[in-house]
Amino acid sequence: MSERSEGTVKGSSGAVWRASRAAVKRRRVQTIVIGLVVFCSTATVLLALAVISAARAPFDAAFEAEHGAHVTALFDPAKATPEQLAATAHRPGVEAAAGPFDQAVVTIPADWVGHPPGPLTLVGRPDPVAAPVDRADLLAGRWATAPGEVVIATPGGSSARYLGTPLTTGTGLKLTIVGFATDMSQSAGGWVTPEQAAALHPTGRQMLYRFTDAATEQQLTASFADTTEGLPKDAVASGQSYLVLKQAFSAGADAYLPLMTVFGVLGLIVAALIVGNVVSGAVVSGYRHIGVLKSIGFTPRQVVTVYLTMVSVPAVVGTVLGTAAGWAASYPILQAAFSGIATGTAVIEPAGWLPAATLISVPLLVALAALVPASRAHRLSAAQAISAGSAPRGGRGLKVQRWLSGTRLPRAVSLGLGQPFARPARTALTMAAIVLGVVTVTVTTGVSSTLAKSMTAPDRKTHIDVQTSAFSENKIAPRLTPEQTEAMLHSTPGAERVSVRGLVRVGIVGQPQLVFADFYGGDDMVDHRRLDVVEGRPATGLNEIEVGPAFLDQHGLKLGDRITLLLDGRQTTVTIVGEEAQGNPNAITSNDATRAQLTPDPHVVEYDVRLADGTDAAAYRKAVTDADPSLSTSVVTTGGEGPVVAITTFSTTFTVLLSVVAALGVFNTLLLTIRERRRDLGMLKSIGMTPRQVVAMTVTSVAWQGVVSGIIGIPVGVVVHRLIVEHVRIIDFPESQIDVWGAPLLAGLALAGVAIAVLGALVPARSAARLPIAEVLHNE
Amino acid sequence: MSNDHDGTTRPDGAQFVVELSGVHKEFGDAKALDGVDLRIRAGEAVAVMGPSGCGKSTLLNMVAGLDRPTSGTVRVQGQDLGQLNEHGLALFRRRHVGMIFQFFNLIDDLPALDNVALAAQLTGTTAKQARRRALELLDELGVAHRKDVYPAALSGGERQRVAVARALMNRPALLLADEPTGALDSRSGEQVMDLLIDLNQIGQTLLIVTHDPNLATCCASRLVEVADGKVARERMLETQS
Repeated sequence: MSERSEGTVKGSSGAVWRASRAAVKRRRVQTIVIGLVVFCSTATVLLALAVISAARAPFDAAFEAEHGAHVTALFDPAKATPEQLAATAHRPGVEAAAGPFDQAVVTIPADWVGHPPGPLTLVGRPDPVAAPVDRADLLAGRWATAPGEVVIATPGGSSARYLGTPLTTGTGLKLTIVGFATDMSQSAGGWVTPEQAAALHPTGRQMLYRFTDAATEQQLTASFADTTEGLPKDAVASGQSYLVLKQAFSAGADAYLPLMTVFGVLGLIVAALIVGNVVSGAVVSGYRHIGVLKSIGFTPRQVVTVYLTMVSVPAVVGTVLGTAAGWAASYPILQAAFSGIATGTAVIEPAGWLPAATLISVPLLVALAALVPASRAHRLSAAQAISAGSAPRGGRGLKVQRWLSGTRLPRAVSLGLGQPFARPARTALTMAAIVLGVVTVTVTTGVSSTLAKSMTAPDRKTHIDVQTSAFSENKIAPRLTPEQTEAMLHSTPGAERVSVRGLVRVGIVGQPQLVFADFYGGDDMVDHRRLDVVEGRPATGLNEIEVGPAFLDQHGLKLGDRITLLLDGRQTTVTIVGEEAQGNPNAITSNDATRAQLTPDPHVVEYDVRLADGTDAAAYRKAVTDADPSLSTSVVTTGGEGPVVAITTFSTTFTVLLSVVAALGVFNTLLLTIRERRRDLGMLKSIGMTPRQVVAMTVTSVAWQGVVSGIIGIPVGVVVHRLIVEHVRIIDFPESQIDVWGAPLLAGLALAGVAIAVLGALVPARSAARLPIAEVLHNE
Repeated sequence: MSNDHDGTTRPDGAQFVVELSGVHKEFGDAKALDGVDLRIRAGEAVAVMGPSGCGKSTLLNMVAGLDRPTSGTVRVQGQDLGQLNEHGLALFRRRHVGMIFQFFNLIDDLPALDNVALAAQLTGTTAKQARRRALELLDELGVAHRKDVYPAALSGGERQRVAVARALMNRPALLLADEPTGALDSRSGEQVMDLLIDLNQIGQTLLIVTHDPNLATCCASRLVEVADGKVARERMLETQS
């Protein structure tokens, strides 16, 4: 390249850069709007993708790293010999296997390292560090190497300070905790040496399998059946699928998934619409500028470059900041989504590829949106470009305006109503953004109302929660027995009804993990914490239990199924008679009579006292604590906890983000319209249009779009709300809580579209009203 | 004898539609008007001439209530425009002033008839009445047959006639014209000049800002020359017929 041509290229690129920089500076508001829209959209999309990706990927990564067991099988030692079980490892379809390991259930009668009394499933295994299947991770201490040593399974985190703690079983056996470990397969409550397990009179033999075909439940069932074929009849006591654990892992996140997916998709669409609208508008409104650039020698390609640079600068800044904000927000949101879930060694954090994805895709989206109008600018001659902004338009828009001018409406209103028809494509994009804004507001309102209904106490009475020292931080020795306490609570003036809640961990035959069992007694067994039964009936009869949808899901059970509960060496078979609205996937609810089948100790942790109207709650509480200082009392407040708070927080965050983006879309559209119609506005003011009429005209031009958007958006939002609440897997809302749409609420929502539109219109409308007429009319 | 519509009556009996007294207008450090005094009687046609940037358009803006002076007073039809807020100024323009511009400033999305009717509709006149009056005006100005045509399809002369019709819609006491023939070919320009002369002859007060000496001498009875923001010279012109 010659020196001269090199210099020319440098000079022209400098001119392009200067022209771009000048364009950005001259359109400060537009630049800020593009930046803000891209910022909000990027943050929304990143947040949604973070939760969606975290729902599965961390489990898979940790499970594969540990060579997790696809099926954790328990065999009856009386029916299958160790040799027969070892032979199953070589059956076709088995990729790897570990075992057989002896499994025994011991009872720990007292509180131990944060656990309530109850059974503990122990498996005899040598150090699994190089095991072909289920390489449990040691979090603290060491593996059990001698009899009397135990390694406790923990869902995550280190418990090093409890190393060396002695455990005494119900039979008097003493074990010492030498380690804490976690495994994604959740194959045991603790591990001891094989010799120790053999000495515990094992009730089962455990085999851990990995299969070549393990993607679906059907494949697992078939592979497991093939593997155990030929074993004596009834040798298989149970088989736990890893898919159940995977589902349990993502249970919390699953609750948010429908909502996050909806908001993520809405966010993407709104972002695409608004970015497209904003960028197209920037190019269209700059046609005259394009003409001027061409007339002074800019090539078509340079002109396109100027415009792409002009929109890219705020878009890139918005993307980078939005990615940073979304990334920062995703950590606490993921923590909330996975709180209470046994995450094991899985690392819960947003996927590393997310920032790269948004950093690449969002600017690309902006560039694509800009490319269409920019390519039009590329094709236009200088003269055409200069006149493009004021070229006559035709079509139905003019007919509508003409018809409106003949109506009895105030002229400012009819002018405003007709204005959007002049640019139907822009109007359609803006309306689409408002519609999506209305859908978002409707969905959030619906979800919040449903949750609010689910949280509201069934009665409007005052309830006092009385906790025993077993449950509270108050470790004063109790003065009264449970029976005496119940009688005291009844006899204290003001008590209308007293219910009793016992809590203990029980085992389920065939399942290595323990579950929490709530046993209710007292008057009506009604407790403010007791959940609504949405299917079946409350478990009030002997040997009846009720569970949440997550429990059924994760244990592969259904209403009417029977399971056998284990506690203190006793067992009783119970029937699932009710499905609660929500609940811990590892918890069941039953009654005091059923508890009595398992243990004589009521394990009372708290009482719920309903007070009669007019009772002084403070006086009642004082009387209770005076009677037994070991009791802690509090007035029950119904409020959100766990997923409820998280869902409400997500909904609100996304609604604010998307509504702001939609309002910015309106703001930008109006700004463009006002820029294009400066001359018309100046003329209208010159012939006597008052500032108030200008505001009325401008606001009217978008307010009717808000009304129409409400008419379209509300039904869509109602449908989306139903889809979401029906697919929140850990909560099963009854119809009474799903149907939240009353006339006042719908009327309020109808205003949402207008509110979004007017919110976005106010500032441009006021700026239109303040346009300097003389300057406009003489400069245009 | 004197009332709001007829202007201010002076002791000598003359009625002044426009009275500018010591009007200064500054844009930052630049002085656009520097102590302008000007009076225009009812029925008079005054042309303001001067080189580019001398302040003649600023002067017109002051009279139209489109801009406010830095100091001094502007009274039109007896109203001190400095005392009016934006709303008041809008009502003032609506009732007392009609404006025509070099580039017509018609609304592209409305046909000629609705462009003209617009001025009356803003005052609350019904669409039917406004259109009837607009059609009469278009007829008087010879463009009634183009009433349904959009501005883009009108010739320059036709557009300016429509603009004049719009300016006259609310029967203003004062018609302000800013380079009304500046964007027209000579034939169209002559048609507009004839129109302005006719209007003045039936009593319409005119204030015309122009570069064109021919327009000034044809249409105006008095010429005000502005230079460096000041009235440099005033002289009476022979009335055209």
